Amino acid sequence: MMTLIVPIAASHADIHKLPQPFRFDDEGTMFCVKAITGLPLSEIKDIYFVILREHEERFMLSEQLSMQFRKHGLTNAHVTILDQPTTSQAETVTQAIRLNDIKGIVFIKDADCYFTTDEILPQNGVAIYALENLPLVDPQHKSYVAVDDMFYVTNIIEKRVVSHFFSAGGYCFEDAQEFCRYYDRLRDYSPLYLSHIIYAMLLDKKIFRPIQIDDYQDWSIDALFKRN
Amino acid sequence: MKLDIQGHSGCDIAIVYEDNELHIHKSTHDAGYVPRLVNQANKQIAASNREYQNIRVPKVFAVEQTDSDAVIKMEYIYSKNYVEYFENAGFEQIKYLIGAIEYFIDLEINASTMQTVPSHILTDKMADVARKVANNAHLKDDREALELVNRSQAVMDGVGDMVMPVGTCHGDLTFSNILFNGNNYYLIDFLDSFIESPLLDIVKIRQDTAYLWSTLMYNKPFDKVRLSIVSEKIDKAIDEYFTSRYQWYRQYYMPLQLMNFLRILQYGHDEKVIAYIKRVIAGQLESYN
Repeated sequence: MMTLIVPIAASHADIHKLPQPFRFDDEGTMFCVKAITGLPLSEIKDIYFVILREHEERFMLSEQLSMQFRKHGLTNAHVTILDQPTTSQAETVTQAIRLNDIKGIVFIKDADCYFTTDEILPQNGVAIYALENLPLVDPQHKSYVAVDDMFYVTNIIEKRVVSHFFSAGGYCFEDAQEFCRYYDRLRDYSPLYLSHIIYAMLLDKKIFRPIQIDDYQDWSIDALFKRN
Repeated sequence: MKLDIQGHSGCDIAIVYEDNELHIHKSTHDAGYVPRLVNQANKQIAASNREYQNIRVPKVFAVEQTDSDAVIKMEYIYSKNYVEYFENAGFEQIKYLIGAIEYFIDLEINASTMQTVPSHILTDKMADVARKVANNAHLKDDREALELVNRSQAVMDGVGDMVMPVGTCHGDLTFSNILFNGNNYYLIDFLDSFIESPLLDIVKIRQDTAYLWSTLMYNKPFDKVRLSIVSEKIDKAIDEYFTSRYQWYRQYYMPLQLMNFLRILQYGHDEKVIAYIKRVIAGQLESYN
C-alpha cells in the first residue's frame, strides 16, 4: 500500500483568486479531486491534499474538500494545511511527509492534470505520456523523460524536448524518507523541480521506471483548461 | 569561406572551409605570444598521438610561424559546449564522462614520473601573485583581497617540497576547453603550466566541478540547478577516486587549488568575478584555520 500526496501549496500572485485546482468541473467535482480519480485508489492507504492556510482561510477549502471526499467515497483522504507557502513542490511534499510521519512508498500527483492508469508498481517511477497523443500542447511547460529500450528512465529534463515522452504529473518514490534526504540535499537550489530530485537520484544509480498512462488531460494552461 | 569567432585565449579563431571540410585556424599576430602558441600546438600534437579512449584531441594539420605571427591549422569538431551537454545528458552519459576524465588523468600520471617540486616554485609563484595583485588597479586598494593574499602566503610558506607526478598535463583542463561530441570529449586550448603535473589538471577540472567557475563566463540562460547537480556529482566522484589512490593528491590538492584561484585573482578586473574569487579563496583558507 502506498500514500498519495497532492501538493497544492504554491503561493499565487493573486491571492483573491481561487487557484485553478480548487475550481469545479461541470459535474461539481473539484479539479484537484478529479486529478486523482483516474488512479487505482484501492492501492492507496492514505491520501493527503496539501494546501495553504491563506487559501484555507479565504476559501474555506477544507470544508469543501471534505464534502468532495464524501461525494467520491474517499474515506482515507485528509487535508494537510501549511502555514507558509513553499518554494517548490518538493518542499510541499517533504513537509507533508514529515507532518504526517509518512513512511514507505509515496505517489505524488499534480493537481492540474488527469490521467488513468491501471496499476502503480511499488517502485520509483514517472508517469509518462507521448506528445503525439495530444491534440494541443504547450511544450515549454513540461519536463521530458528519456526511456531506454527496456523501459528504464535514463533522463528527465525541464522544458527541453529531448524525448517524445513528457512527464505527465505523477511520480512514485519507493521510500518517503529517501525523498526527504534528496530534498534536504538540494533544498538551497532554486527553482527546484521534482525532475531535479529524480535526476539527482538517477545520477546516484537509483532505478526509475516509466508509468504508462492513458486519457491525459492538461488543465495547467487556460486555453487547454477551457477544453476540459 | 572564413568565419571569425571569439576565442578564450586572446588568439584569433577562424572557421575555414577548405579541401571540402571545415578547419579551425587559431592565430596570433603578437610576436610575444608566438612561442607560447607554438608550444601549445606542439603539446596538442603530442597529445593527439596518444590513445585516450573517449577523450580525443583535434588533429593539427599545420603550424605556420614567422617572427611576428603564428597560425595553427587544425581539425574542426562538431560539438556542444559543456552547458548544453550537461543540460541534455542522461545519467549514463555523465557516468561515461566521469570515467573518461579519471582514465585520461591516470594515463597522464602513468606518462609522468614522481619528482620533487622544490618549495620555491610555489613560494616564488606566490610572490609573483602578491606583486601582481598589488599592481592591479582593481585590487591594490582592496583590503580584503590583500588580506587574503597575506594569509595565502603563510599557507604557501608551509607547504614545502612537493613530491608528485610531473611530466604531462593539459594545462587548462576546464569544461570550457572540452568540446562534447556524443560520448567523445575533445580537448582544446592546451596550455603551459607552472608545474607540468596531472595534479594541475585535477585542480582545473575541479575549478569547474567544485566551484562552477566556467558558468560565470556563460551568458546564455541555462538550468543552473541541473548544472549544479551534475557538477556536484562529477566533483564528488573525481575527489573520491583520486583521494582513494594518491597520497600526493590528498596532500597537495588544496594548496594548489588555492594557488589556482590566486592566479585568477591577480588578473581580476570584473567586480562580480573578483567578489566571487574572494569568496572562494576565503572559503579555502577556512580549512587551514
